[in-house]
Amino acid sequence: MSSEATLEKIDDYRWRIPKSYKPGMRVPGIVYADEKLLKDIRQDKALEQVANVAFLPGIVNASLAMPDIHWGFGFPIGGVAATDIGNDGVISPGGVGYDINCGVRMLKTNFQYDEIKDKIKDLVYALFSDVPSGVGSKGDIRVSAREEREILVKGAKWAVEKGYGTEEDLECTEENGAIQGADPLAVSDRAYERGKAQSGTLGSGNHFLEIQVIDQLYDRDLCDEFGLTLGQITIMIHSGSRGLGYQVCDDYVKSMIHCLSKYNINVPDRQLACAPVNSQEGKAYLGAMKCAANYAWANRQCLMHLTRKVFEKVFSMSWQKMGMFLIYDVAHNIAKIEKHIVDGREKTVCVHRKGATRAFGPGHPALPDRYKKTGQPVIIPGDMGRNSYLLVGTQKAMEETFGSACHGAGRLKSRTAAARTINLNTLLKELEAKGIFVKASGRGTIVEEAPQAYKDVNEVVDVVHNAGISKRVCRMRPVGVMKG
Amino acid sequence: MAEQDTLNVKVVGPTPTWPIFFMPNYELIEHTADVGIRVKAGDLKELFKNSALAMFDIIADQKPKTKNQRPKTQTFTVRQKADNLEELFINWLNELLSLSATKEKIFCAFNFKKLGKYNLEAQLGGCDIKDYKVNTEIKAATYHSLKLQKTESGYEVEVIFDV
Repeated sequence: MSSEATLEKIDDYRWRIPKSYKPGMRVPGIVYADEKLLKDIRQDKALEQVANVAFLPGIVNASLAMPDIHWGFGFPIGGVAATDIGNDGVISPGGVGYDINCGVRMLKTNFQYDEIKDKIKDLVYALFSDVPSGVGSKGDIRVSAREEREILVKGAKWAVEKGYGTEEDLECTEENGAIQGADPLAVSDRAYERGKAQSGTLGSGNHFLEIQVIDQLYDRDLCDEFGLTLGQITIMIHSGSRGLGYQVCDDYVKSMIHCLSKYNINVPDRQLACAPVNSQEGKAYLGAMKCAANYAWANRQCLMHLTRKVFEKVFSMSWQKMGMFLIYDVAHNIAKIEKHIVDGREKTVCVHRKGATRAFGPGHPALPDRYKKTGQPVIIPGDMGRNSYLLVGTQKAMEETFGSACHGAGRLKSRTAAARTINLNTLLKELEAKGIFVKASGRGTIVEEAPQAYKDVNEVVDVVHNAGISKRVCRMRPVGVMKG
Repeated sequence: MAEQDTLNVKVVGPTPTWPIFFMPNYELIEHTADVGIRVKAGDLKELFKNSALAMFDIIADQKPKTKNQRPKTQTFTVRQKADNLEELFINWLNELLSLSATKEKIFCAFNFKKLGKYNLEAQLGGCDIKDYKVNTEIKAATYHSLKLQKTESGYEVEVIFDV
């Protein structure tokens, strides 16, 4: 199952899969990793997938892989690919994935860990009771068909208009929580049906809601800009577009399979099914994908609202008084039409980020004024037993990775291997000894998501920081974990 | 088990006499992020049925939560078309996942009225999902590493699910 892909060392943190590795590759692959992580990466077929992505028509520069890369389907998880839409560049639903706009948001509080450490269990129980989670979970936020269409266009703004947040929240969300160009007519009735009861639900698997504490500051000036200090309590929410997104992806993989022969596209894996961005099929997918992305932003906005309500209940204080302000919300499964410099010229490209985070550097016009100086906040969740990070995007990311960085720790062990080798009670004791209280909908989820099943996020973040494609701001550790 | 398998031809309305235990005939394939299965069968109908059973076995315990409980069942009809057999297979599984999510059912019985290379029609028996312990969400069956082939003894398929 391991990969024998040829790798040429570019520097300590970058490795090239030459175009000659597989006939049909249009560009080389470039993998961000150090030697240690590379050993893990070679354990599965992820590098083969980096090479396969290089077959996509219109791909420019390189098929990129972040240090949290692992074997996915079609694209590797942790893959970035940009296609030149002026040169028949394609869009691939497999380059986004089923959980469209799976992403993460981070909010801060005014609390220091020492002040509320005795309340962590109460908070987790209350979150568990008030935030719907688990497989196929349904929420109290029920919407009519007309409202659902509104969500698909307005995204997080729909939630704010309902009273589930503020304008400031939107400013601190990628695309202001609603990407323009969503086409509700491109979304199937089945997708609508799957989405109607799932707004404001966490979902299952690796989705989570965590109470964290800042345990390491890396850049004092940046921490001051963000209003973050050592020992401060922060909250992280990881979720996506739920069943609506899965259905949109399924519908369009189904239709784009036929585009491979229609547009004479040769890819080594049918899960890379794609169509030119400017084709009828490409435009339809993009319009539907944007709907699902907006649904996900509305969902995370609702989840944050429910979280704020829980804190208000537990502490009998308004969320504003507790300083529960959103730092940022980023997507890590999405395709975006962006302008980047390619071969010295500005081009409009379709950037696929499949398990990768946008990491725009300082001054980028897409950033809100408050982050123009710092660069875009890049939020990297780790596993439930180690750390998570806040970083910022850099100019180097703009030059090398289409403004992208990693998205998490990256899986190391399969879910079945984790379930076979990890004992739940031992794991819970270990986590408790570290001061981490965990509650999950399914006991199996805790084992499948155990720290041992993941790479060490610290090593992954070291690579993106040392390679210069993002810059560390601070590190958090979990203290209360709610798993879906 | 053979006797239980034959029960799925009697799918008619809510009835308390459905099989509620299965021993699906499949193997798990290791995959870093997701879950894969390998299924063998004597003929195509059995292959499609066993793959569906395997998928729902990963999703939920095949035993209802309460002992002696006989879950209510409901019948659904599925029709799918495709350009080839592998596509038909993926469409079949994804249609079941989609229906399972919208109708909130675990499907445990399958009766094929028609199954060719390019189309199928099947009746499904589904029980309320709330009566089962759900373990895993499967987002989709994928084309990645998909292998559906004829063997000396029938058919074999390998498929990877996005979980």
